[in-house]
Amino acid sequence: MSIDIILLSFLIAFLRGGRIREIPRFNRLYFLLASILLQVCSALMPRLGGILVSIAYVFTLLFFFSNREHEDIRVFMIGWFLNAITIWSNSGKMPIDLEQAKKLPYSLEPIVNGTDFKHTVLTEDSNLPFLADIVYMPFPIERVISIGDIFIMLGAFLLVQRIMNKPISLIQLREGKGYAAKN
Amino acid sequence: MRRRTEILHTLQGFVVRYCYPLLAFFIVAFAVPAWESRENWDVLIVYTLLSIFVSFTAIRTANFVITLNNAVTFSAVLLYGTWTAIWCAVIEILIIAFLFRSAIPKFLANAGQMLSTVWIVGMVHQWLASLQLPSMLTDTALVFVYFLINTALCSFAISYFSGVKTIHVAKSLVQDGTLTYVLVMVLGGIGARLIEVFGAPALFPILVTFVIMSIVFHQYFNNLNSLQQKMEEIKHLNDSILLAMASSIDARDPYTHGHSYRVAYWGRQLARAIGLSRTEAEQVYYGGILHDIGKIGIEDGILNKEGKLSKEEYHRIKQHPVIGYHIVKQAGVFEELLPAIRHHHERVDGKGYPDGLSGTEIPLIARIIAVTDAFDAMVSNRPYRKGVPVEQALQIIKENAGTQFDADLADTFIRLVKRYSKEELEEVFRNSGQNNIKITEGAS
Repeated sequence: MSIDIILLSFLIAFLRGGRIREIPRFNRLYFLLASILLQVCSALMPRLGGILVSIAYVFTLLFFFSNREHEDIRVFMIGWFLNAITIWSNSGKMPIDLEQAKKLPYSLEPIVNGTDFKHTVLTEDSNLPFLADIVYMPFPIERVISIGDIFIMLGAFLLVQRIMNKPISLIQLREGKGYAAKN
Repeated sequence: MRRRTEILHTLQGFVVRYCYPLLAFFIVAFAVPAWESRENWDVLIVYTLLSIFVSFTAIRTANFVITLNNAVTFSAVLLYGTWTAIWCAVIEILIIAFLFRSAIPKFLANAGQMLSTVWIVGMVHQWLASLQLPSMLTDTALVFVYFLINTALCSFAISYFSGVKTIHVAKSLVQDGTLTYVLVMVLGGIGARLIEVFGAPALFPILVTFVIMSIVFHQYFNNLNSLQQKMEEIKHLNDSILLAMASSIDARDPYTHGHSYRVAYWGRQLARAIGLSRTEAEQVYYGGILHDIGKIGIEDGILNKEGKLSKEEYHRIKQHPVIGYHIVKQAGVFEELLPAIRHHHERVDGKGYPDGLSGTEIPLIARIIAVTDAFDAMVSNRPYRKGVPVEQALQIIKENAGTQFDADLADTFIRLVKRYSKEELEEVFRNSGQNNIKITEGAS
């Protein structure tokens, strides 16, 4: 997904003195597997693509919801929720702003001619355009992201910090208590 | 009167539970068209990042935590208008919604409150801008408008959920946080104008200012906290001394073991029930702990005598309030407790001792202790008799209300004890170290 962000998060956690102690456990992993499976199916069956991707997003949200005891998962949930309502309201595809996408080094052909299973071109008719992929992000890997993706990246960063045994609690930061104690 | 307050509460509930969320919905709907237009997206993205950042940058004062969201939202009003500010509020609301587990009505009311504030401030801003006054003046004025509206809407909602009067909530909000709040907002306003002139690089000094401010506050209030902790320790020490004194009284007489503790406990409960403040209720508590300290000066032979006391012996016992009064007075501490010690055997009909005071001449604290002292004396076992059941003790208090006891206090006390279940009453006695009290047939 965003491998660069994850690697960067690991690097930061490492520099903060964190080390992996144990692999975190997740509840109801099968929701996540179902979501991945559905997305694979949607790529294979372009005619049902929109519906399958929409349902896949429901499953991922259910997966996050089952794991909401962790703050990082809740941050994921914000991002995923924002992306989900955009995808749901645009019949299963995430609109992408061509003006920003043009800056990317790879071909936009599949998106323009509609064969990309997950993306479509952002037009006047797109719903919730401000939540679509409109943010050009030059670093570390060039990409166009959505507002929801910002939260997802934050969630990924926090998750990695937790895995590396150096959790940061946003709730405590908001309440003025500084870093969280270790789990 | 009661009906009227009920109606007002229902009305308040309607506004907080339904109007606030409805307003939130309309305000967001109002802003969506502006969000949809392509030329505004850069602003939205920048303010998203800013809002996320400041949501987790808190400034902490003694009893108040403030995040910088309001400052950022305020700068959005000044620089780009209401739609940007609404976006900032929505981002913060999303973060609160997902990160914190608050009850849905409270969350919706809070969202309504935040969005309404932003929207009203946006309108006032437009009106002020139309007056053609220098923007630095109107900005500062707008800070106070923001603060007032925010506080008003917030306290109205908190008041509904907490049951405290709106005006009291507002007062405590103002007392706890006004200065920090206004400071942060004024800086937000200055920051906005700085960015207007110098562009995005101006963010740098502004954020540095905020971070340093947050650190300074942190250090300052840490020191304050450690001072407060020391005060707590001293108070704790005070308490232990009082408790040690109380146990030394009780130790003289194993049969009244825990008596002072229970008198104090019931005294505090009664004080709260008649609406005294926390500090006053604590005073009553310590008055209860110390009320019998004068018994230190009474000979064991009299104190523990089984059977009837002679006239002289009884006269001697009756001196314990005065003895206690002098002990504590000479020690020069706990002066506020002196009335409780000296006057807890006065009667409202004036037939008590040592001074024969009557009615409200007897200090309130002593009238309270008189009731709870009598109650515990009746229900606990004594050398010469078994304690009476709670129900019967309450009956006796009822019969003597207006002669021995203050009628209102007696009445409140009876109702207070009747609310206790058997288990809760046992718990009170267990905590004081005596568990052979007859509670059967007791309060229901």
